Amino acid sequence: MTEDILDMRGWVSALSQWISKNTIGQSRHWEYTDGVAFFITELVMCVMIFGGIMTTLFVLLWMERKLLGRFMDRRGAVTSLRSLWVGENGVTAGEWWNQLPFGTGVPVGFVVRMLNNIAGNDHELETISRVNNRSYHGVWWMLPGFFQNLADGMKFLTKEHMVPEKADRLIYEVAPFIIITTTVMLFAFIPLGPNFWANNSEMSILFLMAIFGVAPLGVFFAGWSSNNKYTLLGGIRSAAQLTAYEIPLLITVLSVVVISGSFNMVEVIEFQADSGAWNLFLLPLGAILFIVTMVAEVERIPFDMPEAEAELVEGWWTEYGGMRWGLMFSAEYLRVYAACLLFAHFFLGGWEAPFEDTIPFISAIPHITWVFLKAWTVFILFVWFRAALHRVRTDQILEFGWRWLLPLSLINLAFAVVLRLWVYDGINGEWHILVPVLITSIALALITILAIDEDPKALAERRRPFSVQTTEVASPGQHNE
Amino acid sequence: MAEMWISMGPQHPMTHGLWTLKVKVDGETVIDTEPDLGYIHRGVEKICEARDFTQITTYCDRLCYASANTWSHAYIYAAEDLLEVEVPERAEYIRLIAVELQRIASHLMWLGAYCPDVGNLTGMVWCLREREMMMDLLQELGGSRLHYNFPRVGGVKRDLPIGFAQRCRAKLKLFLDRIQEYEAILDESTIFLIRTQGVGYAKAAEMVNHGVSGPNIRAAGVNYDVRWAHPYSVYDEIDWEPAIERPSIKGSDCYDRYRVRVEEMVMSARMVSDALDKIPGGAETHYTSGDEAIIAKAPQRAAEGQTGFHHFEDSRGESCFYLVGGGEGRGKYPYRVSIRSPMFITLPYAAKCMIGYKVADIPAIMGSFDPCIGETDR
Repeated sequence: MTEDILDMRGWVSALSQWISKNTIGQSRHWEYTDGVAFFITELVMCVMIFGGIMTTLFVLLWMERKLLGRFMDRRGAVTSLRSLWVGENGVTAGEWWNQLPFGTGVPVGFVVRMLNNIAGNDHELETISRVNNRSYHGVWWMLPGFFQNLADGMKFLTKEHMVPEKADRLIYEVAPFIIITTTVMLFAFIPLGPNFWANNSEMSILFLMAIFGVAPLGVFFAGWSSNNKYTLLGGIRSAAQLTAYEIPLLITVLSVVVISGSFNMVEVIEFQADSGAWNLFLLPLGAILFIVTMVAEVERIPFDMPEAEAELVEGWWTEYGGMRWGLMFSAEYLRVYAACLLFAHFFLGGWEAPFEDTIPFISAIPHITWVFLKAWTVFILFVWFRAALHRVRTDQILEFGWRWLLPLSLINLAFAVVLRLWVYDGINGEWHILVPVLITSIALALITILAIDEDPKALAERRRPFSVQTTEVASPGQHNE
Repeated sequence: MAEMWISMGPQHPMTHGLWTLKVKVDGETVIDTEPDLGYIHRGVEKICEARDFTQITTYCDRLCYASANTWSHAYIYAAEDLLEVEVPERAEYIRLIAVELQRIASHLMWLGAYCPDVGNLTGMVWCLREREMMMDLLQELGGSRLHYNFPRVGGVKRDLPIGFAQRCRAKLKLFLDRIQEYEAILDESTIFLIRTQGVGYAKAAEMVNHGVSGPNIRAAGVNYDVRWAHPYSVYDEIDWEPAIERPSIKGSDCYDRYRVRVEEMVMSARMVSDALDKIPGGAETHYTSGDEAIIAKAPQRAAEGQTGFHHFEDSRGESCFYLVGGGEGRGKYPYRVSIRSPMFITLPYAAKCMIGYKVADIPAIMGSFDPCIGETDR
């Protein structure tokens, strides 16, 4: 096991053993001392993990708001990251670095101004800068917008609970509980640090993926029982797209399991730490597949057909309100959070610090920091997808899932098997240094080739890949009839 | 799943207004549709019979909240036909600038509404950002932000403000830059292409039979633009040509209707800068309101039995105004006002268009026709 200065489980265990010994141990039921201590430890760890996740969930919500605002305001990261520095009228957006303490923002300001001179929009229009400059000018240490989530929660709490008259009342009430409880259960199997986990069973990944797949059932229940045509369509869409992404997702997770040789989450992470390479550098295709299928699993754009607000109003959510809606909404984001954490654990080495063995004193930082940092970084990708992409249709995700994701995930699984059986150095228990380097450079080369394919000059010719032009150009007539 | 009717509207994200689309679905497939209009019928035509020719302009502004200037100008040309007024050429140029800026703003509003229809909110925010620039320019002309009440019978309310030309050119330049950003998020996005290409085919011949006009029919390759076919105002002195798409043999899809509007925005921007160059008296001169150079003397009354008619290329199609003047002792007011709304004619056809496609395609197809219920219900 990785050493960690934040030995949370050890401390909780010692404390509960001390409590147990001094209470139960003194009584005539002294033979239950260890059992009670274990029970208390598990309980406290569950509460601590859930509390930590719920607290940091606010960071996620806040990040999404801020990032979406930034992406939508400017050109955004769709084609470039210019949005961070482009301003109008020679003034860069917001000048937020001036608000950092002790002049730490001065180099940032220098770089941003330089970038703005090179690649900014140079327009001499005050009105445009007024209109476009949505940046925040208040105090930054208050994290503008952070406490909006608390206000939202308070609002949901005060709303009345209403059930549609013709709804199937029992199922209508049960469905949110299926969704929320299964989502909360996910976190029992997701460790936050080497000594910060609630459950470390041998089959934790298997159980985790099983629990992950239960919520769409609740969505289907909710859609059916609301007795509304939109919710019905939303629920059925959720059930229909389930198979399209769930099978590639499971096969991709299986490839991670194969390469790490364990169904245990902690062992998967420890394997990445010990063998010298994160799975991202061994299974880049698997990482891409995992994130695509996870976007579908947590029902975010582009795969949010069950709640497509353009045609289904709000999909299966439509008839819910009040705190049930609020809890389901937070469950939705908890699932996103779980997806980010899983990506961090499966592909980014979990709690292992980058270059843990080479950088001195880096192990002095509690490992939980890396888990959260990695998960939040992955979440930026999710927000980016949402800002940049459109919503696909149900038949299109089915086609995409069966025709592309499934074969690719099988290829990825075969690749993982080959790596594990014939490339992995089982005697030393680590990868040869060339293996991740080679795989990563090939993957990067492929991605680069795909990226530079975006030829703006060829845009006009390949504008219509999905329909053809057969008729002639209509020649404009004359001014006089 | 059995067949069922879904009533989309009157409050529904797809509607872009206040109307109901009843959709009969078999699972996810649309097998029948029935549009239901009239929720915001205000009787504008009847109200106008009790208003004099200046007052009617404000009512026409409110026919379409996204494209106010085009509607008031459509009325003004009919009124000038009725009252037989000769408009100064400078006023015509100013009107052209106002109308084309309004067309850009209206198409931007359409594009901004269309992006969430296919599931992307970023496009909406970007489009509204550029629309804001156009609205600033129109505010400089008309004084307000949405309903300008800009044209007058015989001319325009006020001349171009000083510095308007420079600001307008700079904003149009920025706008033309930003159009490339829309193409980056729309044309280069495969998901947008699969959502719009091959979806919602509309055949040119059928559309002509239904009386559909405007960008919707130009997307199907029919070269009918009122500004080009029957040039009114000074459209024959400006350097431009209609934006026309090349549709497939099956008709024009949503993507065609998207492209034709984007190209029309580019064309309108070109027209405005050309008009700023060619405007008689120069764009930097400023005449006071009521000067002969921008407004001609117009009679207050129309003779009995006299008629005025004008067809006008609105942002959404061909809008026609028909005015009958006079009546017993009430020459100050029109005897009858009749308005032809392009969307009233397009909506039933658009509803027919989506039969055979999926439920998810309903907003994509409906939005691509650019519905505006204010003018539809009048």
